[in-house]
Amino acid sequence: MKIVLDRPRCEGHGLCEDVAPQLMHLDEEGELVLDIETVDNDVEPAKAAVRVCPVAALRLA
Amino acid sequence: MSMTLKRIVVVGNGIAGLTAADSLRAAGFDGDLTIVGDEPHAPYSRPALSKAALLDADDMTSHQLPPSTHEAQEVRGVSASGLDADRKVVHLDDGSGLPYDAVVIATGSRARLLGTGPKTEGNAGRCDGELTLRNLEDALTLRRRLTNRPSVVVIGGGALGMEIASGCLSAGCEVTLVAHDRPLTRQLGPYLSGAFLAAARRHGLKLAPSHAVELRSTGGRTADGRPLVVLADGSTIEAELVVSAVGDAPNVEWLASSGLLTNGRLEVDARGRVRPGIIAAGDVAAFPTKHGIQRVPLWTSAIEQSKAAALALVRGDEAPELDFQPYFWTEQFGLSLKASGFLPLAGAPEFLEGDPAGGPALMRWSHDDGSGTAVAINKRIPIPKLRRLSDTAPLVASPTA
Ligand SMILES: Cc1cc2nc3c(=O)[nH]c(=O)nc-3n(C[C@H](O)[C@H](O)[C@H](O)COP(=O)(O)OP(=O)(O)OC[C@H]3O[C@@H](n4cnc5c(N)ncnc54)[C@H](O)[C@@H]3O)c2cc1C
Ligand code: SF4
Repeated sequence: MKIVLDRPRCEGHGLCEDVAPQLMHLDEEGELVLDIETVDNDVEPAKAAVRVCPVAALRLA
Repeated sequence: MSMTLKRIVVVGNGIAGLTAADSLRAAGFDGDLTIVGDEPHAPYSRPALSKAALLDADDMTSHQLPPSTHEAQEVRGVSASGLDADRKVVHLDDGSGLPYDAVVIATGSRARLLGTGPKTEGNAGRCDGELTLRNLEDALTLRRRLTNRPSVVVIGGGALGMEIASGCLSAGCEVTLVAHDRPLTRQLGPYLSGAFLAAARRHGLKLAPSHAVELRSTGGRTADGRPLVVLADGSTIEAELVVSAVGDAPNVEWLASSGLLTNGRLEVDARGRVRPGIIAAGDVAAFPTKHGIQRVPLWTSAIEQSKAAALALVRGDEAPELDFQPYFWTEQFGLSLKASGFLPLAGAPEFLEGDPAGGPALMRWSHDDGSGTAVAINKRIPIPKLRRLSDTAPLVASPTA
């Protein structure tokens, strides 16, 4: 399972990082960086990150 | 897991219901899961409705959430009309009943209406011409109405009223905001509300500092009149469009004879439980916070409550209590604010970055109990970092902060 970021949508709230810091972080510029994209070992945190984003910038594929 | 939990019914298909369903699955519940929601749609993001969705450029996708993975049976367009806690059945308005072993109450809240009746009743009848913004239909209606650039009166100086006013101004409308307090002061405190008011004025917002007491129509009881807002001093403002944002009321009426309400409120314990086998989360629920038992009708509040309650339903007292960390954001008049910690804020902040003159800034307020609130304006900052800044005074912050 892969986590996919729709970058133009992302508003940099960072709510996703808050629930899945092992998978992603906002860099110095406030851009979201996916540290792990293939999330087969972290499906639950990945789902939580996808769910918490209020603008649906993340999805699982 | 308790062996008796075979069927769980979730009532309400908003972010709280959805998160509860996901969390129940994550906690290992693999029995029958049914979600009942009275909206015909899949769950969507309400915060987007007063932000991107009001802007012309948006293609009306900003509110969409990714498809769910909980594999529950979803019943849409049907409302729950009652709950029999003794027989363990949720009654639906199509006459059917859903038996359960455990139930999740996540029916959220609705927009209060100014209407024509006394304000204290919460929901007096809707006046012709009064729009509110709570669901997707409301957002589509508002968008459609804005294309003709009507003159707009927004009633209510909270975050929602101000976001709506901002959206209407961006759409090219003339906008007057009626609010009896200084807008956002009750929500954010005087310092930040001052910053937002200055930005709002720069964008052309007109303010009518008064109490709106009544909505009438210039056409009397006929449908074709324009809405007329009557202010406390008896003066009136006419507008082509009136949008009210005067707070929300929890959807608890369907529970009236369930025996679950305390003085009309649905109160839960620190693990989201109303009583054994019955949990509640989201805008509908009043839960214990540092400032007493209260509703905190916000996005991350709904998500955090649901997660904690779902876990408690499966694991009981082994599940941790809700450790509520307030997080709030708003976007309006060119300002984007994120706040970690309790609001509103008294006095002036300490500036960690930026300065009072404007521009991107990172601020902190210290509270008497040693905690704090960290606020970022027009600055992208990881929320974990914002939380760390709010938790610890900067002088003693850990080097990793
Ligand atoms: C326009 C707008 C902007 C917002 N902006 C922000 C923001 O910027 N930041 C923030 O933190 N929060 C914001 N919020 C608040 C946030 O959206 C809510 O706190 C959150 O959506 C609550 O989720 P919920 O699932 O508890 O309730 P809801 O989303 O209301 O979901 C409850 C669902 O249950 C359904 N229902 C009700 N009664 C019944 C019944 N008897 N039977 C079946 N179904 C029923 C309802 O129709 C609804 O679909 C905003 C809210 C609105 C309306
Ligand atoms: S929560 Fe959504 S908008 Fe916020 S940083 Fe993550 S992906 Fe971007």
